[in-house]
Amino acid sequence: MSSRSPAQGPAAPDPVHRLSRRRLLRHTMAAAGGLLAAGPLSGCVSPASASGASSLSVWDLFQGGDGMLMDEMIEAVSKGAGGAEGFEVDRTILDWGPSYYTKLAMSAAGGRASDVAAMHLSRLAGYAPGGLVDPFDLDLLAEFGVTAEDFAPAVWSRTRHEGTVYAIPLDVHPFIVFYDKEAAEKAGLLTTSGELVPMGSPEALLEAGKALAGATGEAGILFGHVTDTAQNWRLFAGLYAQTGAEFALPDGGPPKIDVDAAVRVVTLMTRLFDGKTNPNNLDYNGALAAFTSGRGGMAMLGEWELPTLKKSGLDLGAAPFPQVFEEPAVYTDSHSFVLPHQDDPDPARRREAHRYVAEILKQSLTWASAGHIPAYQPVLAEPGYAALDPQSSYADAAEVAVLDPPNWFAGAGSNFQNRMCQPLQSALLGNTTPEKAVRQMVREADTLLRQPDPVA
Amino acid sequence: MSATVTTVRSRRRPPREAAGSPLLLGHGRLPRVLTGTALVVLAVVWLLPFVWAVITSVQSEEDINTTGLSPFKGAFTLDAYQRILERGNVTVWAFNSFLISALVTLITVAVSTLAAYGFSRGTFRGRRALLGVTVAAIMVPPQLLVVPLFDQMTLFHMVDTYAAVILPQVVAPMMVFILKRFFDAVPRELEEAARIDGASEFRVFRSIVLPLSRPIVAAVAIFVFIGAWNNFMWPFIVTNDPDLMTLPVGLATVKDAYGVQYAQSMASALLAALPLIVVFLLFQRRIVDSVATTGLGGS
Amino acid sequence: MTTTAPLGAEEEAGSPAVAPDGRGTAPRRTRSGNGLVFVLPFLLVFGLFMVWPIVQGLWMSFTDSSLALRDTRFVGFDNYTEAFGDPDVWSSLGNTVFFTVVSSVPLVLIALAMALLVHSGLAGQWAWRLSFFAPYLLPVTVVTMIWTWLYQPELGMANQLLTALGMEPVGWLSDESVAMWSVAALTVWWTVGFNFLLYLAALQSLPTTFDEAAALDGAGAWRRLWSITLPQLRRTTGLVAMLQILASLKVFDQIYILTKGGPNGSTRPVLEYVYDVGFTGYRLGYASAVSYLFFALIVVVSLAQFRLFRRED
Repeated sequence: MSSRSPAQGPAAPDPVHRLSRRRLLRHTMAAAGGLLAAGPLSGCVSPASASGASSLSVWDLFQGGDGMLMDEMIEAVSKGAGGAEGFEVDRTILDWGPSYYTKLAMSAAGGRASDVAAMHLSRLAGYAPGGLVDPFDLDLLAEFGVTAEDFAPAVWSRTRHEGTVYAIPLDVHPFIVFYDKEAAEKAGLLTTSGELVPMGSPEALLEAGKALAGATGEAGILFGHVTDTAQNWRLFAGLYAQTGAEFALPDGGPPKIDVDAAVRVVTLMTRLFDGKTNPNNLDYNGALAAFTSGRGGMAMLGEWELPTLKKSGLDLGAAPFPQVFEEPAVYTDSHSFVLPHQDDPDPARRREAHRYVAEILKQSLTWASAGHIPAYQPVLAEPGYAALDPQSSYADAAEVAVLDPPNWFAGAGSNFQNRMCQPLQSALLGNTTPEKAVRQMVREADTLLRQPDPVA
Repeated sequence: MSATVTTVRSRRRPPREAAGSPLLLGHGRLPRVLTGTALVVLAVVWLLPFVWAVITSVQSEEDINTTGLSPFKGAFTLDAYQRILERGNVTVWAFNSFLISALVTLITVAVSTLAAYGFSRGTFRGRRALLGVTVAAIMVPPQLLVVPLFDQMTLFHMVDTYAAVILPQVVAPMMVFILKRFFDAVPRELEEAARIDGASEFRVFRSIVLPLSRPIVAAVAIFVFIGAWNNFMWPFIVTNDPDLMTLPVGLATVKDAYGVQYAQSMASALLAALPLIVVFLLFQRRIVDSVATTGLGGS
Repeated sequence: MTTTAPLGAEEEAGSPAVAPDGRGTAPRRTRSGNGLVFVLPFLLVFGLFMVWPIVQGLWMSFTDSSLALRDTRFVGFDNYTEAFGDPDVWSSLGNTVFFTVVSSVPLVLIALAMALLVHSGLAGQWAWRLSFFAPYLLPVTVVTMIWTWLYQPELGMANQLLTALGMEPVGWLSDESVAMWSVAALTVWWTVGFNFLLYLAALQSLPTTFDEAAALDGAGAWRRLWSITLPQLRRTTGLVAMLQILASLKVFDQIYILTKGGPNGSTRPVLEYVYDVGFTGYRLGYASAVSYLFFALIVVVSLAQFRLFRRED
């Protein structure tokens, strides 16, 4: 055993350690003993007991820029940031999307889930009602300095199921617009203080597209959606919410969708991405590449693309998604923490899990550097946050956040978003009319709602 | 139909038999050059992915992403391997794979040889019916049972345990069938003599029948081991804890904070490929025999 | 996998040998008793991990059993009715059948070609066998990792080769009309070695007398291949094809890891649909029903092949 234990200090190679040889050995013995001696049925090897009480297992789906920032935050709390006691954290990263959520549900159903897991708030309706996540103890959180008042109400309201809090938001990550300041300036779209001018109407947005196209000599507004399983829905859902109409998915169906409002939205989308002023046939990476290489004045993207865009050397501006209909609304989601269901939770570990979540929230400034708006609002008040450019210019988006309609099958990376995207893509590509696309969306939602609800 | 026995035996002949075969060549007109060329082309196509993977794995991520991969441009580095080994995941999964495959093989071989012997020599009531059920079960693809099996493991509180990975894999009706047919063909004179001398049935099995059956048992063991080593679906479904995952499951499921990195991806793929390739190089003959004898269900 | 006929035949031969002893009943009793004892461990695991899930799965297919922690209700044939009307069941079945066709044909033919070539006796048997069989020893994830990289749109080997030859790059895994072919190519590369070995073993055990006689009569190599060797291999080909079709129908691993069934469901096989509705969608009961429908298909295919085969014998 020549390897240093991670607890021995900063010299250890990887503080967010995964598996040490010590643990490997323990597994061997547990496996051999448990399996062979105790026979098939009682031969369960509990990883919880095998990996030692002190190490907290956390799951998330953050890779790339987010993944590295999360590593940084975990490292900070592991060492005991802000004078708090440290942690031994065992981090597991799984692939973003359905595979992550499937594994999360299966581990909870199996009863030996991790201590803490990340979850898009929009997915909570698939986990809390079915008992796949356990509730947070707000008193305990308060003890560690985190209370309900620390979060934007628009987001906090989605953390509850039947009055109990099941998720603690880490961030709010809206679908916003990035723009090339130079092009926007030339197109006359900047205020005297250098912010994007308010739009206020669909026509203003269309005009802005034309002005930007004129300024760049190429495309005005860029949006990648072809074969993407979320982009069209993000754009649609944000604009639809701005009309003030309701989009609800009551169990058993039919869905409550204002068809006229939806047609207005899809019509605007098709007029905007007409294939002339603004291209209508880009895929996600294509749009990203076009924007970073200066072939467009504005891009509609999630704020999480900020690190990539910053590297491009553009004079980058950002703003909450412009209000073009009657009400302000921005489509968002929120990375949150949940306590996956454990059959037999150890109270001391649960306490540590609460403390861990609270400590990570206090590191949100690090998280904000990737573009995310910290959900824990005390961080927004820190001078460090105001200095973040362009993050601070869209922080208001949290106040008017709109998430997916709550239902067990909806949310980030869900089949629902995928199915909403298909007809929208057809409409943008000109293969169908806005009316038909909307009817198709209603039908798809209805089909999903008619399925027996597995969580109720 | 009884090629099980003959194939195994024919393999004991001197190893070069294939090379001397007269088929196609002899004084045939099919030119050696043509055959040779076809073989070389096929072999190149089959080895190319490996070569490409090896080349990728010894370059830096930067070289791959910036200049585009040219096998001859980037500088040689073992960085990717070093990082993979430092992280330690692959080592743990390899260990799990070995442990799980070894236990699956051990239990399967033990349970199946015993059962095959019982079916071959036993006279208990219901033997034929049970044998019939066993043979019929060969048709049941284990993949179709994952949903109820997961449900069962939840019920037993066994999800995320080694036992849950291993036990459902030890049911191998096909292997029982292959072994039983082999035992059926083993002459009984020796056994009867031993029985007359008062040897217990287990003793007869262990010291007479089993030694005679070593080749087929080895063939079955190898076949089961390879199957368990490469099994994906069930271990994937029943393990969520990365510490318990096997190589294929861990590599497919657990990601890295940095996102996709091709050099490291290829390095871990090659590291994971290594154990069985080495084993193959060492025991080529036995493995080839095993596939040939068990692959068609001993027919 | 093979016919059950020999079993019955051999039973008769085995039984009379039971008791030639004149030394009382003791050994005989041990014998009949012990026979069962030998089978018991197998029966235990067989009962627990084969019979139980088969029965449990059938029961679940009539319930709304869920991955979420809540009570299960009996729903009669609802799941089956839903499955018959579910377009995704049909499209995933279609994908499965399509994959089975486009993978099985080359997997049999290329394996045969490889075996014939290697069997021709060129030097380096060891090396050929290693090159063709080695991929079969790779865990599925290793194969998909390597091929994901080969298929990578900009830097992957496949598109680099195409570009070097002056052709347009192909969306190997992103183009709906191409993706399944890409999966099949990977599968052929990965598993052809298995069939190759089966063919090689069969070739090596063929009697060479006809071939030698024909050669003496001056028949050319091609002639002998078509009129002697291939007919001699008919039985093996039948068995290999049958095993291959059954194996291809059960495809899940490589597709799940490579494409997750995408793009747009174009590569999703029925087993992945079972996984998707059962685990991702929590609906274990419905997934069981889909499994059982697929099981019925497998049984029909197995029996049909069985029939065909016995008639040919």
